[in-house]
Amino acid sequence: MKDLKHLIEMEDLLQQAHNKLVKEAREEGRKAIGYTCYFMPEVLLDLEGCFGVRLRAPNCTTPVMATYYMSGRTCHFGRSLMERALEGGYNFLDAQMATETCTVTCRFQEHLQRMDIIQNPDFFVEFTDVPFKKTENSVEHYRKQLQAHVLDSLHEKYGIDTSDEALLKAIEQHNEVCRLVSEIGSYRKLDVPTITGYEFAVIQLTTITCPKDKILPMLRETAEEMKTRKPDLKPTWKVKVCVAGAENDDPDFIKLIESCGALVVADRYCYGSLPGREEIVVQEGQSPLDAIARHYLNTSCCPRFMPQDIMRGRKQYIADLCKEYNADGLIIESNKFCEYWSYERTIDALVIPRDYDIPTCSIEKEYINSASGQLRTRFQAFVESVELKKLHSRKGADDV
Amino acid sequence: MKYFGGCDVGSTYTKAVILDENGKIVADTTIKSKINSAESAKIAMEEVLTKVGLKSSEELEYLIGTGYGRNKVPFADENISEISCHAMGVHVTDPSVKAIIDIGGQDVKGISVDTDGTVKNFAMNDKCAAGTGRFYEAMARSFEMSLPEFSKLSLSAKNVIPITAQCTVFAESEVITLVGEGKPMNEIAAGIQMAVAKRCFVMAKKAGATDSITLTGGCAKNDGLKQAIEHVLKLKVIDLSIDPQLMGALGAAEFARQKGLAQA
Repeated sequence: MKDLKHLIEMEDLLQQAHNKLVKEAREEGRKAIGYTCYFMPEVLLDLEGCFGVRLRAPNCTTPVMATYYMSGRTCHFGRSLMERALEGGYNFLDAQMATETCTVTCRFQEHLQRMDIIQNPDFFVEFTDVPFKKTENSVEHYRKQLQAHVLDSLHEKYGIDTSDEALLKAIEQHNEVCRLVSEIGSYRKLDVPTITGYEFAVIQLTTITCPKDKILPMLRETAEEMKTRKPDLKPTWKVKVCVAGAENDDPDFIKLIESCGALVVADRYCYGSLPGREEIVVQEGQSPLDAIARHYLNTSCCPRFMPQDIMRGRKQYIADLCKEYNADGLIIESNKFCEYWSYERTIDALVIPRDYDIPTCSIEKEYINSASGQLRTRFQAFVESVELKKLHSRKGADDV
Repeated sequence: MKYFGGCDVGSTYTKAVILDENGKIVADTTIKSKINSAESAKIAMEEVLTKVGLKSSEELEYLIGTGYGRNKVPFADENISEISCHAMGVHVTDPSVKAIIDIGGQDVKGISVDTDGTVKNFAMNDKCAAGTGRFYEAMARSFEMSLPEFSKLSLSAKNVIPITAQCTVFAESEVITLVGEGKPMNEIAAGIQMAVAKRCFVMAKKAGATDSITLTGGCAKNDGLKQAIEHVLKLKVIDLSIDPQLMGALGAAEFARQKGLAQA
């Protein structure tokens, strides 16, 4: 396929958290607000005068210094963030909006709060408590937490306008990003998709790590470009897969899967777009903050919610995605020592092939995957078995 | 006569097999792998081609590369993962086998095989070398023995001294400590076999292996390990009529035969 005009520039933006667009926005006097979790609504950090940066630690090697503080038996992602913080990679931050969700990322943010790591005298950390249920009480609790710990603190510390009008303006911008990302992502549903999973992963990641207003022009042009983009004459993939699971902000992991013959058509993982790029709807008479709190609680597919019907709903969501995006199989991944996904992955690997007849490959990976040789063997063997089963079922249908 | 080739470039040994159009093995070889995978494949292929009287790989109807160096096999028409190739190799050797434990130089795999020789399910170790050929090399080095001598020694033990460390480096120092304490060498060796067998147990169970299991890869020739696996799995391990180390290359050659004949 013809290269996307902005792909190289976007890849470049993902090389470090303090990228070109973040630097530009800070030079304009805007405050950079770090976060790590879906439950910190990015739209609240993209108010006028500030912008959200979902933290990544690209190119992190062994997190040796972080392991001293956090022990070796903790999630590699949380430790990699800590390592990058200790290396000085997040000194551009003006605040960190933390959530009490995954234990290890929460602990990383506690370290940011208690140790003098970020070299910015005005830097502060706020923690938001996120409920474990999706009831009316939970929504109310969550809304109050967001008001007190996010909006009030941004207003008090940095004078950010957090009025309903300001929130509605931020929602409008956020929704445009969601619309464009979803439109670009919808080309993955085609019989012969005109975008690769790697390209889409790069685009999606830039939208959560860069100021929205600065990434929007590139998104608009890319969406336009996609309307006429032609697929390769001979597809380079053998099967299509959905990737689901824990935190993944490494487009090279997607590239690795695709190099084994599996086109990634759906990204149902933490930092992915499904869910995450649905528009926020504010009903008549509803406050914008209430709409935001409900939106994030209701759309989340995080395995921290334990009620049986919600757990079952998550499996159904994956099965529905596989159908909608024509995926032949599922790759379910979790990071080593991931608190929630270690369990969820084990259950999914059992339930999804059994109840939905979707071939599933279960992978425990590290934040940065240096052992790509063994992963490549696993993915290739999975692709081969899915491809053969596909051929056999086609042959069976022809015989009938 | 048409010929079809399979070349399995492993981390320790490179194996090559040539089949005729009836699926009969007409040549095979096993050589020590070089640091350069392409060179290993070239040497192994030259050996089997000479045995058949062919001048170059281009005279083969179809050639498939497999193993960790599968992408580097010169002249290969395509590459297929060693997981699929071991399953096919075992299937054509003995179709009654439904599960495989493959212990190669740098990984351990449990594979369950479908009725047509395709992979039903598989599990594979993480990137550490515990329970692999490299692990055995390190253990045999601690005993100042060859691998066959080490295997024979373990079979003579009446008791098993448990080895707690799974990590190759820690297990080696644990063994040195036990030897220093004057513990019987054969019982320590049996303990090492049992530690690896337990790891194989996990892979076999993860892959869904329930019965009719066999061993492939270089470590399949280790009788002490075979006995330990039979003990932990409570199953008789099936002996293959063809060298179990050749299964990857044989499976690759069989895939090459099927694809080559389908193309013709």
